[in-house]
Amino acid sequence: MTGEVLRILLLILQLGFLGLLYLILFNFARSLLRDLRTAEVTQLASQSGIGRLAVLESVADDPGTGNTIALGPINSIGRNVNSTIFIDDDFVSGTHAMLTFRGRSWFIEDQGSTNGTYVNGHRIDRAVALSFGDEVTIGRARMRLER
Amino acid sequence: MRAVARPVELRLLLPLVILVPLGFAVTHIAQTGLPEPGPMAIAIGYVGLVLAAHLALRLLGNRGDQLLLPAAATVGGIGIVMLNRLPQDLLGTDVFGVQMGMATTQLLWFGVGLGAMVLVADRFRDDGILRHYKYTWALAGTALLIVTFLFGREVNGARLWIFVGPVGFQPGEAIKIVLVIFIAGYLAEKRTLLAGASVRLGRLRFPPLPYLLPMVVIFVIVMLIVVVSRDLGTALLFLGIFLTMLFVATGRRSYVLLGLVLFVAGSLVAYNLFGHVRVRVDNWIDPFADPSGTGYQTVQALYAFGRGGLFGEGLGQGLPMIGGHLPIPALPTDFIFAAVAEELGLIGAVALLGVVTVLVFRGLRTAILARDDFSAMLAVGLTVSLGLQTIIIAAGNVKLVPLTGITFPFLSYGGSSLLASFVVVGLLLAISHRSAIDAQAEGRAA
Repeated sequence: MTGEVLRILLLILQLGFLGLLYLILFNFARSLLRDLRTAEVTQLASQSGIGRLAVLESVADDPGTGNTIALGPINSIGRNVNSTIFIDDDFVSGTHAMLTFRGRSWFIEDQGSTNGTYVNGHRIDRAVALSFGDEVTIGRARMRLER
Repeated sequence: MRAVARPVELRLLLPLVILVPLGFAVTHIAQTGLPEPGPMAIAIGYVGLVLAAHLALRLLGNRGDQLLLPAAATVGGIGIVMLNRLPQDLLGTDVFGVQMGMATTQLLWFGVGLGAMVLVADRFRDDGILRHYKYTWALAGTALLIVTFLFGREVNGARLWIFVGPVGFQPGEAIKIVLVIFIAGYLAEKRTLLAGASVRLGRLRFPPLPYLLPMVVIFVIVMLIVVVSRDLGTALLFLGIFLTMLFVATGRRSYVLLGLVLFVAGSLVAYNLFGHVRVRVDNWIDPFADPSGTGYQTVQALYAFGRGGLFGEGLGQGLPMIGGHLPIPALPTDFIFAAVAEELGLIGAVALLGVVTVLVFRGLRTAILARDDFSAMLAVGLTVSLGLQTIIIAAGNVKLVPLTGITFPFLSYGGSSLLASFVVVGLLLAISHRSAIDAQAEGRAA
């Protein structure tokens, strides 16, 4: 084989390498675009709002462990059946706590309950700002604030 | 734990089965002039490892982002082609009497890194371990840094290595991750306080210092140790990560402004205080002032970019050796981007940066989709660490910023860097897995 042929072979292989690299890049771009389109659709489908509570642990059936509760801007939590978030547990007071969305953050305030409201294991004595991921314990129900 | 299909990932990985061996063949033909593919063991080993990692993620039922692994593996594939094409005795290790070349060593670290990625993606699905022990993590990281500073081995004027028997490790890479975990945990806990309160002094608003103090103290300690051990690139990287995370957590431009002012002041002090900083900056302003001395590497890198031009010299056809020596001693680590640009040209270098961009894009997407603040902050910090590291070293290569010795993620030679980068991908996989599971549960409930 002459040097000339080898050079041409090398050039072809070289171009093949670059071409393949751009094919990979094109594949990435296609996956990204497809993902963006589906994301748009799912976002339209679930105008999910401002947050939700995931129930991590609960002795009651209402709410049961593993449930998620969609939140409005103002939520009362308690054993009173008229509460926005009704917890069927003897350790929970009638009107136990208020969970509200003000400005850009969530706040929780105890409403003079007997057994107290806990945020990440600490009992609160005033309105406390919550971050997404914080755990709220009311009675024997342990819940996590999520977006 | 049920096995899942990851079809997008598989489809994106398949071209690598051809790309890497093709790269090996091209360099072999170009270097020997023989029309044969040459030895393929390392190329096949690499592709095999990546596919094995894909399979492991499937079997473990990971529903995390499917573009992360292919993006990392593509950059890594180009890296191993470049490393295999350089003289093998250049760098390499001698493990228990077995002498291994540079590409073989790198392949071994790819195995370790991919294994760690799969393990982390599976083990850290629940982020409690990371979140609750943030001070322990910070303390462990700082302790490791101090141990390195006191007992580490000095390589190239910086004491960054710890040796356990024959295996060396750079703790700086691990500390990068630990620091991100700590800052994410801290900011997620204090986010509402930080965003709300501020101290007003006249017309200026300052961050509420008491809330920030614990984090700032730990950060300053880390920065001091890093700067004193002359690891400038890492210092710059840490600062960038810190400011970005602070900005993301609070949405306050004033924090970033304050950080940048501190950075400029610190840079001026460092320039006047440390000789090695002055050398780096002077080389950046005019490397041709001392082209065969301190400016040598930068000048050679610029020549490499120039020779590469638009389409490159061709794989295996660059000028790796002048008179039996590499023109750039740190070619496999700090200057590998220059080598890629020389042989694949501007279009190759742009494609490479494009793939890194995909990685960053998906990392930030993981952050947006995360269900809680800690996961979101963690994903942002980890992603920024990869992206910023790429920018700092690539910009250093083309003389856009002063050169600092850090690695190009997944591309450069080096075990610690590879391992750390793959752990980052593993954590991102774990976070995106959690949000995918949550979204699915929500869909079923609705």
